[in-house]
Amino acid sequence: MSKPSPEVYEQGKGMDAHNKVMREIRGRKDATYDPTEPTRVWIDEDNTPDGVYQSLTIILNTGGCRWARAGGCTMCGYVAESVEGGSVSHDDLMTQVEACLDHEAENADEESGLVKIYTSGSFLDEREVPAETRRAIAETFGDRDRIVVESLPDFVSEAKVREFTEQGLETDVAVGLETATDRVRHDCVNKYFDFADFEDACTEAVAGGGGVKAYLLMKPAFLSESEAIADMKSSVRRCAAVEGCHTVSMNPTNVQKFTMVEQLYWSDGYRPPWLWSVAKVLEDTADEDVIVVSDPVGHGSARGAHNCGECDDRVQRAIKDFDLRQDPSVFEQVSCECERTWKTVVERETSYSMPLAR
Amino acid sequence: MTDYFEVHHRDGAARIGELRLSDPLRTPALADDVVADAGSLWTADRDLPEGDEATLTVLPHRGLPGGTPEEVQEAFAPDYPDVDYPSAAVVSADTAADYGADAYVLSAGQNYVGHAAAFVEAVVQTREAIPADTALFLPGVATPANVATLVYAGVDLVDADRAVVKGTQGTYLTVDGEQSLADLDELPCACPACQQPIAEFDRDDCVEHNVNALDAALRTVRGRIRNGRLRDYVEGQARHEQWLTATFRRLDQQYAYLEQRTPLLREAELTAATEDTLKRVEIQRFAQRVTERYVNRFDNPLVLVPCSARKPYSESKSHGQYHDAIQFRGHTVSMTSPIGVVPQELELTYPAQHYDSVVTGEWSANEIEFVSTVLTRYLERNEYPRIVAHVPEDYRPICERVEDELGLDFEYTVEDHPTTTDSLANLASTLQEEPKYEKRERQHNTIRAVADYQFGDGAGDALFDDLTTQGRYPQLRAHDGDGTQLAQLVRQYGTLSFTLAGARRWLDSDVPTKRVEIDGFVPHGSVLAPGVVDADDDIRVGDEVVIEGPKAFAVGRAEMSGPEMAESTRGVASQVRHVEEI
Repeated sequence: MSKPSPEVYEQGKGMDAHNKVMREIRGRKDATYDPTEPTRVWIDEDNTPDGVYQSLTIILNTGGCRWARAGGCTMCGYVAESVEGGSVSHDDLMTQVEACLDHEAENADEESGLVKIYTSGSFLDEREVPAETRRAIAETFGDRDRIVVESLPDFVSEAKVREFTEQGLETDVAVGLETATDRVRHDCVNKYFDFADFEDACTEAVAGGGGVKAYLLMKPAFLSESEAIADMKSSVRRCAAVEGCHTVSMNPTNVQKFTMVEQLYWSDGYRPPWLWSVAKVLEDTADEDVIVVSDPVGHGSARGAHNCGECDDRVQRAIKDFDLRQDPSVFEQVSCECERTWKTVVERETSYSMPLAR
Repeated sequence: MTDYFEVHHRDGAARIGELRLSDPLRTPALADDVVADAGSLWTADRDLPEGDEATLTVLPHRGLPGGTPEEVQEAFAPDYPDVDYPSAAVVSADTAADYGADAYVLSAGQNYVGHAAAFVEAVVQTREAIPADTALFLPGVATPANVATLVYAGVDLVDADRAVVKGTQGTYLTVDGEQSLADLDELPCACPACQQPIAEFDRDDCVEHNVNALDAALRTVRGRIRNGRLRDYVEGQARHEQWLTATFRRLDQQYAYLEQRTPLLREAELTAATEDTLKRVEIQRFAQRVTERYVNRFDNPLVLVPCSARKPYSESKSHGQYHDAIQFRGHTVSMTSPIGVVPQELELTYPAQHYDSVVTGEWSANEIEFVSTVLTRYLERNEYPRIVAHVPEDYRPICERVEDELGLDFEYTVEDHPTTTDSLANLASTLQEEPKYEKRERQHNTIRAVADYQFGDGAGDALFDDLTTQGRYPQLRAHDGDGTQLAQLVRQYGTLSFTLAGARRWLDSDVPTKRVEIDGFVPHGSVLAPGVVDADDDIRVGDEVVIEGPKAFAVGRAEMSGPEMAESTRGVASQVRHVEEI
């Protein structure tokens, strides 16, 4: 890895500034969390290389992202959902997993074929989730078909991935790549690794018998609508070209509390992307040899990806439909007068004069 | 160094300028067609753009949207290259500085629309930080309703982005605000896009109309600046949106910013139709100079009279009648809103003969407050043996307030109305025992009073100790004891213009001078900004200035403020009236 730890990249001038600001912003909140409760758990449906599965999604409370403690990503407020200060013990983590199984038993008719585990950090980072816990969780879900675990590329290794594939699980590592453009990832997102690190992580995952699901972030701070679309199109294409990266989850930025993005948002300096832009990227990259899905959180609200308010639900439905079918014709069936405004914004908006429309 | 922008006319902080592209663009204007964006450094490293003479190239930039923390602005500040084509640098109010560009693009305009305090702070901060002879481009916010106020604050370039976006949303823009297309019964506009039945008027038409309306609004604004009457327009037009009214009021609170940019004199009428007129620099400046610089040199009683609609007052019928009754036995001072008090010697002095106000016979509390404060301060500085108030009933509360404040007793001479036979007879008989002053005394006092007003406290005596006058008021010339002409009273503005001898006397006196230091050349007609080595900070447009260099001594009238002369590389700094080679 070219950038083995957050501490190294933190030396950069822009990164210093971002981290200083984000530390200050995060310092304004004072919530703490119970280490025996998962942050969130829910049942959903997901498209995978092997078809659509019922999924159990778990956000483990692991003490939170180490990078966020240094300051962290400009749009990410999830650090709020972690335990204050230190790490969470093996026993507590396993108690959280039990709670998730109980949730599944209560809310679904059958066990989910797909289990997705996120931590708002890195599940494969042993400072966050001890090796003992990781192995126990691999065993717990060994009877399922697929598993997805979230990690920064630094912590992905052939051996760790193999612990899951050895259970007979189709295993994917979910990597928050955000964008394939290093400059945007560094300067706008304030994330410290390079695309080359992502490629290395894919190589490790493949060697361990698994694959990679790349998470992209549409329209980080400081990008205009057209720049955001271009950044996502090129990112999807570059991800598709990496061996092992079979799925891309492209998600519009939403305005989370206690983030720099929220500070811009309050000062009329940020608007989440238009749902039309999400649709445009999905439509234009549909011919790539990779599954592309998107889950616009908070769609239709001021803090989430939105259009004019009239058509948001219709466009969101088309996006969810695309997620499952990968058929770009779903977007031909939605239209609205606000497309004219969106096109004007795409044509005219610059990063020195935005947002042009709310 | 600004090569591609030049300011031609100034009206407060607003300017008529010229973006000197191969096809020049007169500003304030829409920049849409001439701007080329060389790209954002947030997304990619950029090569030095090639640029050309036909476009204003926005140099590779880091856009700084509203809310960008200062640390981030500093850490990511781009290095702007020195280029030899028309260029613009993107700045925020915090990062604005001289980067050698011809124009500056102010980021985060969206954060200022609707927020008067933030807008005023950002524009003042930016304008003060960038060179005076560069254009300020505020993209993304202009509408027909707000553009006059944007320009009034000091913006030179805008774009049609907001007008176009609003059009696509079916919002119909006019100088008095905006309306949803659905709410319109008819199209209140005569532009080409609006020449059709409203039922057929769609959003594309609305876009076209909005841009037309913005373009027309800019034409109005340019005409207003050329005529020196933008403020009069803004006081009325800005009232259609609260934040715009708040904006020009908050700008009035930025007195130093506006004062530096407000001319000492104008040919144009000053319309006093709102209470906000009281806060104008021109009004405040006159009141300040009358109460802090002017001194009364007559020994006669003070006669307070109401103003007249006709200017100068002495040419009005009513003041002719007062004059006939007073018969040189009293010093006439006119009371008026919004000027305050006007001693007879300053009746020509801008804006005393240039304003026109709305007269209803009723005074607002603010007017009473303003005029009584000015009169109180005037009387604290000037003592009179008697004070006669020949004023109508509606002036009485002001006079009584001042009497109470200062413990004075005014003698009131008006019954019913000041111009009735009885009132005028009263006035005449009240003064009949008083001695008359001579015409020569009046002429001397006029020259000295204008000198006090124009050059500072005590200037009238310091500059004209051995004064003789020639000519007939208002065509007065000031000479010294040996008959050498020193100055002339300019009828149009009520100011003095010096001869070379007068200018030398000014330099030799203790009166603060306004000096422009120039390079080694002999100016004819005018001094251009690049020839200015240095200029005094307190020079204002219209000020009398002494121009000195290794090769020439001259006197003239300033066309720029002192700071603008010193930092500009283009444009006329000063007119030259008389020059002498050294």
